[in-house]
Amino acid sequence: MDYKEKDFIQLLNQNQKIIHKVCNLYMNWQEDKEDLFQEITLQAWKAYSQFRGEAKFSTWLYRVALNTAITFFRKDKKNAFIDTVSEMPELTVPMDRDPIEDKTKAMYEAIAALSKIDKAIVMLYLEDYSYAEISEIIGITANNIAVKMNRIKVKLREATLKNFERI
Amino acid sequence: MELDDLKGLINQKLMEGSPNITENNFTDLLKGKASSVISKIKKSLWFEIACCALVVPLFIGIALFSSHSSLKIYFGLFGAIFIPFTLIFFYLLKKINEFDQSVLPIKENLQQLIKMLEDFTRRYFQFNMALLPICFLVALFLGYNEKEPIAVLDNIFDKLKVNKSIYIGFIVGYSIAIVFGLVYLTKWYIRKLYGKYIDQLKLLLTELKED
Repeated sequence: MDYKEKDFIQLLNQNQKIIHKVCNLYMNWQEDKEDLFQEITLQAWKAYSQFRGEAKFSTWLYRVALNTAITFFRKDKKNAFIDTVSEMPELTVPMDRDPIEDKTKAMYEAIAALSKIDKAIVMLYLEDYSYAEISEIIGITANNIAVKMNRIKVKLREATLKNFERI
Repeated sequence: MELDDLKGLINQKLMEGSPNITENNFTDLLKGKASSVISKIKKSLWFEIACCALVVPLFIGIALFSSHSSLKIYFGLFGAIFIPFTLIFFYLLKKINEFDQSVLPIKENLQQLIKMLEDFTRRYFQFNMALLPICFLVALFLGYNEKEPIAVLDNIFDKLKVNKSIYIGFIVGYSIAIVFGLVYLTKWYIRKLYGKYIDQLKLLLTELKED
């Protein structure tokens, strides 16, 4: 293993949470998550020679991971929302329900049902990136991001309420 | 129930069930094979280039050493047409490799990927279609004007005992059917391989362009 590869693996190891989060958000099935994890790792390695350190490694990795996840398609039936729900780990204990956990689950389901682009925006928002930073990663203006984020929040509020009532 | 109120919990939930990957696991992952569309196109381009590399010297050899002028022209043309296409395939491969190593903003990445896929499918179609006129029209013309008899072909026609007009009618009908069949089949095949994927990417791009 050469110095560059060792350096890269070390950075990837320190930032693996990013890849896990992207895989969990974009894929529903374990096998697909593993495939996407591998694809992101390989894609990051291919592009690593172009990484100049102008941005933080984590920001650069987000860009690679989101680009890969957005252009990574699996058979439609596997991505159906119903699978997202059935695949999600059960948080609640029927006899002793925690409303916060139920709300989190309802919100998580709502996020899982968003489009690929909206998921990317939400993911970066959850990581506390500013609208200006999100706009650099997505490639549209910060104003546009703000408008989209407001719409997403409304969409999530409504979907979460519905999901919460169902849970 | 606002997103901001549940930020921390959602972040935790996004990590649920994720195994810890060690540095050794990452080393193994780097040895794995990519399954992206780009890697499939690269494989396809290498296959086309390998075919061209095999066919060009073979056809040029036939063109140089055959004693029949029709075979010389026919295979010479084939060989000549494969050369620029080999260069085009190398150019596409270079572009794809450059794209594969770049980390662009999501919108630009989608635009470039769509352009690259459309370029590839267009060239692939052109490559297949470019061979058709040579296959049929040039072959017909050259075969008709061939002065020296080709023993193998003459034996076949003697055995079948067909007269000239039926033979020409059959060849013309067969050529038209094959040309239309191939155009349709090639379009269908390309669409089956990449059409749906390109449509999905275009939808994502449209969503990004919306205000």
